[in-house]
Amino acid sequence: MESLTHSSSFLLPNPPVDTAALTYVLVVLNRDLPRFTPLLWKNGDFELKLLSVLISQICICADGGANRLYDEMPLLFPDETALAVRQRYKPDLIKGDMDSVREEVSQFYRALIMHLDSSFVSLLAEVLEIHLGTRIVDASDDQDTTDLHKCIAYIRDLPNLENENASTCVLVAGALGGRFDHEVGNINVLCHFSSTRIVLLSDDCLIQLLPSSHHHKIHIHPTIEGPHCGLVPISGPSKSSTTTGLQWNLSDTEMRFGGLISTSNLVKDEIVTVRSDSDLLWTISLKKIR
Amino acid sequence: MPMLFPDETALAVRQRYKPELIKGDMDSVREEVSQFYRALILHLDSSFVSLLAEVLEIHMGTRVVDASDDQDTTDLHKCIAYIRDLPNLKNENASTCVLVAGALGGRFDHEAGNINVLCHFSSTQIVLLSDDCLIQLLPSSHLHEIHIHPTIEGPHCGLVPIRGPSKSSTTTGLQWNLSDTEMKFGGLISTSNLAKDEIVTVRSDSDLLWTVSLKKIG
Repeated sequence: MESLTHSSSFLLPNPPVDTAALTYVLVVLNRDLPRFTPLLWKNGDFELKLLSVLISQICICADGGANRLYDEMPLLFPDETALAVRQRYKPDLIKGDMDSVREEVSQFYRALIMHLDSSFVSLLAEVLEIHLGTRIVDASDDQDTTDLHKCIAYIRDLPNLENENASTCVLVAGALGGRFDHEVGNINVLCHFSSTRIVLLSDDCLIQLLPSSHHHKIHIHPTIEGPHCGLVPISGPSKSSTTTGLQWNLSDTEMRFGGLISTSNLVKDEIVTVRSDSDLLWTISLKKIR
Repeated sequence: MPMLFPDETALAVRQRYKPELIKGDMDSVREEVSQFYRALILHLDSSFVSLLAEVLEIHMGTRVVDASDDQDTTDLHKCIAYIRDLPNLKNENASTCVLVAGALGGRFDHEAGNINVLCHFSSTQIVLLSDDCLIQLLPSSHLHEIHIHPTIEGPHCGLVPIRGPSKSSTTTGLQWNLSDTEMKFGGLISTSNLAKDEIVTVRSDSDLLWTVSLKKIG
């Protein structure tokens, strides 16, 4: 069975250069902006060639996530003008059904985008036009797909990422807290796109899916995360899970809701390994950054 | 609690809203908080005080380890177990309803642990509450009739197959009703739904979590 390595090095102020070559894409949702969001932006240390235009980061706001960026990013830099902060941390795309993003926020970012290369602008304008004001209904589900779902689908279809899906990692800021149905909808997106690395982030913790198809090796960075952690059988009961590196390791242990699930566990070693017959959610607490 | 009543003294508010019991492994409660409430409790009927003192002594400073799980049971788990054993509630389990404040948000493993307590004690009505929403378990053993009070809750709601895939769920009263519909993580789960009628009914072959948003109160 193949092994997958996980590392929260994107939260380190100075991540090691030889980190597993991952392309990070940041998605900002419409919930309180985690205080470490500027770190995620800076650490998108990669280049993306899109229509032969070099872009240093990709940040996508899911609809009202643009409001969050506009309102809350300046609060993290009280010594600077709001305008300077907003220009520095501007999204590359605002995507979704556009029923939450405020008019002045949308206009502000559109005006900023106009300063970019014109071919890129027309691509973006095209995408923005398509989604502005239109509610997209997935009739087979009888429900709209969530804004996050639309963003992930969009990211997976990006031409330059298409052959590199294994090494793309989507960081989702503001994914947790607030309404539980939103939170669980975001978790469902992890399960739906199980072959794409997606990390749900809040100020307090992160969540990732560990597909049963792989053994997992999780590098713990104790300056930024832990020790509190857990493993949750989200798709249904798990007959057998085995871990190393935890205070209370699982050893061919059964897990299910209504019985044992691993919560309030502690990471002991700098590497935690997990394997299971069932998809599990891995969650670890984040230390206060900034 | 004093912050919710800025026009009164903190002492007056704390005396009015005092707990009957502080329960758990006691590794979080601050010393001055514990002493404050113990002093208040001593003003009560002496037989009740001795019962409480007995319970507090038993649990003060002792970490309870459930060796069969290789892990501690959560503080919420201990509370629910304690409530279910209360003599005057023992024959009335069906009509007890436990309201859990501060159950959601923060660390996800805590939240999942609290949801697991709902599943573990599935025959007890437990409502997890936060400022933004509530969560309840709807056991598959019953047909559920949920009365919606639109001044305090909704319209956003959802149904989640927490124990595993559900082959068949049927609802009435929602914007997007389920009709013998399959639900599972990785496929369809009902989120960002809306309560349309004042009564929502749910039946399913699987235990579901019901969640509804709460309106700003206070």
